[in-house]
Amino acid sequence: MALSPDGGVPGAGVPASGEAVPGSGEAAPAPGEGAAATDARPDDATQAIVVPNTLWTPADPGAYGGTPLDEAPELFMRRVEAEGIGRRDDARWGALDVVPTTADLVLDLIRANSLWPLLSGLACCAIEMMSTATSRNDIDRWGHFPFRASPRQADVLIVAGTLTTKMTGPLVRLWEEMPEPKWCVAMGDCTCSGGRYKRSYATVQGIDRVLPVDVYVPGCPPRPEGLLYAMMKLQQLIKDRRGHWRERSIGPTVPAGV
Amino acid sequence: MDAALRARLETRFGELLTGPVRQRHDETEMRIGPGSVPEVLRTLHDEPGLRFTLLADLCGVDTGTDLQVVYHLWSETTNDWLRVVADGLPREAPRVPSATFLWKGAEWLEREAWDMFGIVFEGNRDLRRILMPDDYDSFPLRKDFHLPDDASRSPGGGVRPMERANPPADATADTVRRRSPAG
Amino acid sequence: MTSPTRPSLDDPALAIPVDRAGVFEPIPMARTERQQEFYSLRDGEMLINLGPQHPSTHGVLRIVLKISGEQVVDLDPVIGYLHRGVEKLCENADYHQAICYTDPLEYLASLFCEWSPVMAFEKLLDVQVPRRAEYIRVLAGELNRVASHTLYVGFFALDLGGITPVLWSYLERDEIVEILAALTGAKLLFNYFRIGGVNGDLNHEFMSRLGDWMSHASRQVEAGTALLNENEILVRRARGIGTLDRDTAMRMAVTGPNLRASGVPWDIRRAHPYSVYPELEFDVPTRSEGDCLARYLLRVDEIKQSLRIIDQCLHQMPDGPIMAKLPRLVRPRPGRAWAAIEGPRGLYGTYAISDGTDQPFRMRIHDPSFVHLQLLSLLVPGNLIADTMAINASLDPVMGGVDR
Repeated sequence: MALSPDGGVPGAGVPASGEAVPGSGEAAPAPGEGAAATDARPDDATQAIVVPNTLWTPADPGAYGGTPLDEAPELFMRRVEAEGIGRRDDARWGALDVVPTTADLVLDLIRANSLWPLLSGLACCAIEMMSTATSRNDIDRWGHFPFRASPRQADVLIVAGTLTTKMTGPLVRLWEEMPEPKWCVAMGDCTCSGGRYKRSYATVQGIDRVLPVDVYVPGCPPRPEGLLYAMMKLQQLIKDRRGHWRERSIGPTVPAGV
Repeated sequence: MDAALRARLETRFGELLTGPVRQRHDETEMRIGPGSVPEVLRTLHDEPGLRFTLLADLCGVDTGTDLQVVYHLWSETTNDWLRVVADGLPREAPRVPSATFLWKGAEWLEREAWDMFGIVFEGNRDLRRILMPDDYDSFPLRKDFHLPDDASRSPGGGVRPMERANPPADATADTVRRRSPAG
Repeated sequence: MTSPTRPSLDDPALAIPVDRAGVFEPIPMARTERQQEFYSLRDGEMLINLGPQHPSTHGVLRIVLKISGEQVVDLDPVIGYLHRGVEKLCENADYHQAICYTDPLEYLASLFCEWSPVMAFEKLLDVQVPRRAEYIRVLAGELNRVASHTLYVGFFALDLGGITPVLWSYLERDEIVEILAALTGAKLLFNYFRIGGVNGDLNHEFMSRLGDWMSHASRQVEAGTALLNENEILVRRARGIGTLDRDTAMRMAVTGPNLRASGVPWDIRRAHPYSVYPELEFDVPTRSEGDCLARYLLRVDEIKQSLRIIDQCLHQMPDGPIMAKLPRLVRPRPGRAWAAIEGPRGLYGTYAISDGTDQPFRMRIHDPSFVHLQLLSLLVPGNLIADTMAINASLDPVMGGVDR
């Protein structure tokens, strides 16, 4: 992302040391900014502590709702919540600013209601995962029946079973091979925290040491109803654009102009 | 508890036994030295009065001072399980002849004993790591390999601040936990 | 081994050697004779990797296939992707706690995984288990065997490409484990057997669910397998494939249904009886062909025999206590004990050594699937790649037990 000290964005002067000093003296900040920023100190608990971003400005002025961050930093976070700016896929569709929010909603619904898990059953929880997939606790009601064998075709990685150090390499490789958007569900005590193998020399104590987990399902093994609840929670995460994917998809790693 | 079996084993293997043949419940146990393993197993397998043709288990044991290899066998001639203990393997270089000449299925069992204890089975065509990764350095089931939360006894332990601040008074890193063998 | 008393993270002995970090060895250095033989490829041969993530492996099994065209020339199974260090954990736990670690080994036959160590510990302690507890153990164990074999039928068909039978098997199995959940409290990892008995007595919910299920169980088994037994695809893919003869089976230390399908009528419940099996009437089905189809049909026969045993247990259930009196912390006198039972996959044995303290000195668990996977490199070469799955499925390995 280009740093644009002169892109017409007031108050975007970059101090060489990189420290974020509110209302740094070189540029002329907007009238309300400096005063409000210095006023927003911890004494006043109702004021948000906003450190204006003087390090980085998006190259595309249309990103993040099209509003330069520095104009009203103390109000920006509130505007984010109110207007749902962060929920728009701006960083990806910067040029298509005219895409209405409804399409995003539909895409989220599509993704949520058609999550194809990867067949990655490692141990006992895999049996309960298969029990969730079969007739009695039918996960096809939510559209999640096709358990894909290939990671290239899968959306969600349900890690079902103990992750051992030997298996970590292949599993992380599978995770990296899955294309975005992807989510991860840690099923069972062994994947949440190590479970009954917390003291073992050969297991990974919780897969969040190696993978970004969106939903944790405790249990040894969790009942199929528990896994269904977890998948419904994951659907809610997807629709709300919460979870790890949001940070991964929107941010500096997305190339400019995409 | 088959007294006749005990008598047969003692007469047949007299000098090769390193201790008395012991019996408890439905098990008969005999102890031999590691060098006599092929001869003893071959005799147990082939001789008509013995016919121990089924290998039930092959495992290693770390007694704290030495290593052992234990075979469990079954025969239709007796009601007892037979346990053959090849005792007295030194810790630095434990070597035992392989049983794969008799039971090809012992190959993986011996690989596991190598992986867990470091016992070398001479004659096993495929002695490499089976459960741990190929480049793993230690032998996990040895008594001087401690689980990571045994901070006092593990050279790699004591990662958490509380463990480093409060080790037991007599803790040394190379303490073997149990010194007395179990018999 | 000399190390500082206070271990430090800066200790150079703990550092990961940088030159090995991130190195991926596609073909490992051939260190052993067998590896040299395997990894030397002739003209037209190719190495293909199957697993550890693959829809047809019964868990995390990696098979390296050496193929020439579609035909498998050689095969190297790589295991250890589920090695959790259970034997070491058991050495650091009490006797009662050690039983809890053994559940998830053969997770489809969890009660058998508990039964064997519990019997070994009872031998160490010279504890007499009450008769009612023994009958309940047999009852619950045979229910678990039926569930395991039912799943086997489904997985066998699934690995050959049929999706319907696994759905039916899971329907059946879910019903059985709900029955066991009424008795034990759990669906998969039961944690029900204790040293000296069982955890809870039979209750009304269990008996009513069991009665309902028993009334249609045998008909359901017939219906479920009728689809498969005469199915041309299954029969042609399984008959004559992976034939294991008697002598090879004995040489490979094979036990259980795989051995009985090869013509050796050896069942521990008859050859070396334990618990109350001497009082129960059941047959030991045996087949002589030794191919995949024989192994499959044998397990279907075993389901029927297990139903007979369950029926007899219900009729002959004695009264009495369900647990022997034992202290909370047990300290057996120093000694060694071996106990082997007939699990759904074969001989499941435990060798327990006690040194007089409250923790087992050594708890060795012998799992049948571990030994049976060696059969793959014997039976598969000469067949096609697709037959690998047929043979693997017919041997019924459970990787939790293989890797422990």
